[in-house]
Amino acid sequence: MKKIILYLFLITFFKAASQNCNAYKWEGNLKKYEACKKAKESEYYYQFNHKYHEVLDEAIAIDPTYDDAYWAKSIAYLKSGDFLSWKKIIDKAVDLNPKKHLGYRGWCRYQFFRDYKGAIKDIEEFQKIIKGDVGYCQNGDYHLLIAKAICYKAIGEKEKAIQIIETYLEKNDNESDLFNFYHLGVLYFEKGNYKKALKHFQKQEVENNLAENQYYISLCYKALKDFDAYKKRIEDSEKMYKEGYFMRDPYSYHYDKVYLSQIEKELKKVN
Amino acid sequence: MKKILLMILLLTFYFCKKEEKVNKYPNSIGDITFNAEKDDSNFVLCNKNNVYQYFNDGRGLGYEGEKLALVTTIKEKYKPVKTTQSGLIRIRFIVNCKGETGMFRVIQMNDSYEAFSFDKKIINQLLKITKELSGWMIKQRKDVALDYYQYLIFKIKEGKIVEILP
Repeated sequence: MKKIILYLFLITFFKAASQNCNAYKWEGNLKKYEACKKAKESEYYYQFNHKYHEVLDEAIAIDPTYDDAYWAKSIAYLKSGDFLSWKKIIDKAVDLNPKKHLGYRGWCRYQFFRDYKGAIKDIEEFQKIIKGDVGYCQNGDYHLLIAKAICYKAIGEKEKAIQIIETYLEKNDNESDLFNFYHLGVLYFEKGNYKKALKHFQKQEVENNLAENQYYISLCYKALKDFDAYKKRIEDSEKMYKEGYFMRDPYSYHYDKVYLSQIEKELKKVN
Repeated sequence: MKKILLMILLLTFYFCKKEEKVNKYPNSIGDITFNAEKDDSNFVLCNKNNVYQYFNDGRGLGYEGEKLALVTTIKEKYKPVKTTQSGLIRIRFIVNCKGETGMFRVIQMNDSYEAFSFDKKIINQLLKITKELSGWMIKQRKDVALDYYQYLIFKIKEGKIVEILP
């Protein structure tokens, strides 16, 4: 959790720092400095607005190598699900500055298009370029290595997914982030290792309790034949869902997401 | 006289160029304009000049019974097509202030993000099923019902639906 706070601070810091066009001036890159200054005018408009794009086009006209302008232009296409236009534009940004945009493109391929293989390819390529910590995804929900693990799970490589998450936890002082223990727990649950799954769901419960997590805890107890705990946890899950404690993503949906109707269906079996 | 003609010519050129610049993008990226040949004239928007995006309220996709109900309905209705074709199909449309849908538009790509044309049996089914979906939530802002853009992306693997986004 501490890491997330630090990460959000760093994002804010670097975001602010990247907007300081003077950095280009100090480097002696005057074309990029002028392009950056022009691109800053886009901040007055919504990402979908035509003026936002016209200003960024002007920035690109000043310096066609100004990668941030392509990245900024790609967002509206991404959010409207226009994979054809998005890919063409974000590819430009990645070609110009892979260290800055390749990990982001990998994350987007997963989050918006469930292009698991494409996401793995980008993130692994990014690891080779960065050599150090690849950092978190755009919305801060996951470290990119955890996102990569989810993609491996999605293509059927569950053992590899477990190994990636466990290595990450080992090297990062059991960093829970928002959902690390939950996804690891689901992986063990699906393998039929309920005791190990329960151990991870209990850790998740301490760090970021969710209706989905309670749902899986109840299923673990059911499998382990502790029916009182099963009943209590599925009731807790329904209560938490109705109170709004569940996984949400305004643009897409979380992997391993559980919906209220699934919880209610299980609840009916108990009562 | 020659000077006047030259002046008119230059002004025409100037305004044409200006017009071209203004029209490079729609007012908002992805805007769908009414097409009498494709669209139902009975589908009416409350405010055609201000159509929101489905995520603008921070809640994302809004469907009765949540996304699971939508996915279940689609998968029950869709009949897999025997083909080797794979990729993504996006159907984008507007949910109006009454929760009705209209102005459907389709884009398609293969697994390499290249424009692609899927078998008509796939596209026609998906369009029909999407048009029949009736559980869309009415989104509001300050108690006023809004029109909003929604899309569904169908991930197709060899003619079967393997995932639905967002």
